[in-house]
Amino acid sequence: MAIFIILGIPLLLAAGALIIKRERLFGVINCLGYFVVLCFSIAIFKETVLAGHIRVLFNFIYLDLLSVVFILVTAIVAIAAALYSIAYIGKDIEQKIISGKKARFYYLLFNLFCFSMFCVPAVNNLGMLWVAIEMTTLISAFLVGFYNSKESVEAAWKYIIICSVGITFALLGTILFSYAFSISGLSKSLNWSDMVPVAHVLDKNILKIAFIFILVGYGTKAGLAPMHTWLPDAHSQAVAPISALLSGVLLKTAVYAILRFGIIIIKSGELTYFTHLMILFGVVSLVISSGFILIQKDLKRLLAYSSIEHIGIISIGFGLGSPLAIAGAILHVFNHAVTKSLMFFGAGNIVSVYKKHNMNSIRGVIKVMPFTGIMMLLGVFALTGFPPFSIFISEIMIIMAAFNNSSYFIAVLLLLFLAVIFSAFIFHFGKMLFGNLPKGMKIVGEPLSGKFVFLFLSFLICGVGIVLIFKYKDLLWLSQRLLQG
Amino acid sequence: MQGIILFLLLASTYLMVIAKRMPALIRSFRYQSFFLFLVTFLAAFNEKVIELYVVSGMIILVKVFLIPYFLNLTAKKINLDENLGLFVNSQLSLVLALIFTYYSWVLSVNLGFGQGSLQSVAVTVAFSVIFIGAFMMISRMKAFTQVVGILIMENGIFLFASSASGGMPFFAEIAIFFDIFISVVIMGIFVFRINKLFTHIDVNKLSRLKG
Repeated sequence: MAIFIILGIPLLLAAGALIIKRERLFGVINCLGYFVVLCFSIAIFKETVLAGHIRVLFNFIYLDLLSVVFILVTAIVAIAAALYSIAYIGKDIEQKIISGKKARFYYLLFNLFCFSMFCVPAVNNLGMLWVAIEMTTLISAFLVGFYNSKESVEAAWKYIIICSVGITFALLGTILFSYAFSISGLSKSLNWSDMVPVAHVLDKNILKIAFIFILVGYGTKAGLAPMHTWLPDAHSQAVAPISALLSGVLLKTAVYAILRFGIIIIKSGELTYFTHLMILFGVVSLVISSGFILIQKDLKRLLAYSSIEHIGIISIGFGLGSPLAIAGAILHVFNHAVTKSLMFFGAGNIVSVYKKHNMNSIRGVIKVMPFTGIMMLLGVFALTGFPPFSIFISEIMIIMAAFNNSSYFIAVLLLLFLAVIFSAFIFHFGKMLFGNLPKGMKIVGEPLSGKFVFLFLSFLICGVGIVLIFKYKDLLWLSQRLLQG
Repeated sequence: MQGIILFLLLASTYLMVIAKRMPALIRSFRYQSFFLFLVTFLAAFNEKVIELYVVSGMIILVKVFLIPYFLNLTAKKINLDENLGLFVNSQLSLVLALIFTYYSWVLSVNLGFGQGSLQSVAVTVAFSVIFIGAFMMISRMKAFTQVVGILIMENGIFLFASSASGGMPFFAEIAIFFDIFISVVIMGIFVFRINKLFTHIDVNKLSRLKG
């Protein structure tokens, strides 16, 4: 079965990282492994679209459209991060920042991290979902504190503590869901596929209280404001490929968990409750992040706050709840993952050349690194929702849905803050990319594997943006079935 | 019988609230876990479920022996002064803890657990343990207390799970146990690292990353 290969390859690679002593060779093997994972996740996507849902291993693994979408996104960002890691880790070893042994430790953690993120959408049991999400935190804490500097250890500590507390509340919410299920006189089970068909007979009050705990708990992990405080620290201190994985996929796995419970809430007939909460948290995230983006001085923190903004948009999209909005939100999950990975890789290149995070001392990137500079320029426009890039399409879908629902206030707020964030980004990046070269800066060559990953991601950014205009009917059909279970 | 144990569990939680030093905190945590074990064991005995026996065995192994042992070991190794550094003094903390207990009772009534029944008492105790754990995390200075705070919250959740919904599915419960143990070990490793890099474990002084 394809899902076992998707889950098995990261584990095999993790074992391989312990055995194979040559880091560079292992980097290439790592990439090939994730290429296979990507192929199989496309296959499983197709299979699930045709079959509706797949159950394997006595119902332990349950895949529907929602889960395969997230598996596909994870696979794409994972292969991009694996490709970028070859060049990035190779350069770190050359500059004697890390030892060869530590590089192997990196690859071990990288693969375990990917494994845990593939587990999240695959498992059926909501308790196991919790375990998988807690696993992602525990493993990635080491990757955040990887360089063992004061800042990175502080960031890792905040990350592990805040997310553990958040997720403890999520466990409480999960147990409340299970309690609601058990008092309705049905057999004891935490399987999502058992809960959804009977959602309408569950006690609505308990479900409502439980969903608050879930939203606060997993929302902490997803980076929804005001529980986002760990996010800028962790994203800015992690190794660059891991920043991309954190922002591109890890946050989305938490969104996935919220949606799983959200579907039960919707099926129990509390759509407006779900809508209000999701939109509330989404708007708060948008407002808070836009303020921090305006005054930001640190390049990687800027990108981290932009992740909070995009999670806010995704949350608004799912909250609006019409097929168009959900299609936009799902598309936004994909687009944001791809675009933000590109931006974090670019930021990683910039930081490793300039040796600084502070944007005031980064000038003239396009002259120093022409390739990275141009890709970053493209990425900035893509990230801020400029046509014809893919994020523009998904954002316009969500805004259209807001107007269709006659939630004019939400639509206006969205447009206003998107405009603020757009101008802030152009302001920051205009100075960084163009500007005068600092003294003593030379033009730097870039390795081929590094360039290839940028081309791959920018192909996805531009390609999806153009293709989807002609394929939106399929997307709508998909999104209609997405929340059916 | 169960009522008395629940009361003792709550009392051990209050002991943690007024603890000023590390060994006292860990000792009270051990008491709390032991009472949690007794509650689960009694439930297993009453309902004659083998899985609950296993879970109670896990509690006594992991929470009464392994985790406190590991915490003591780490505390000894980093060899710092044992004061917890209270932001809120113990008297005020105790008053707040009582208020949390009252609101947990209100919450448990709102959730539809009948007034006066043993189940409603258990749920009240569980919620107050959870809230007190969260409160401990934010009102104490040392990184250690945050680890213990999470453990307290998880004890509360276990009590809630076993009293409200008759426990989670068996393998999920085992997986969660494993997860908690791993997370304590990893947090311990980070406490080590913080101590090595900063030469203290005061969380309020970790303020390099801002904005």
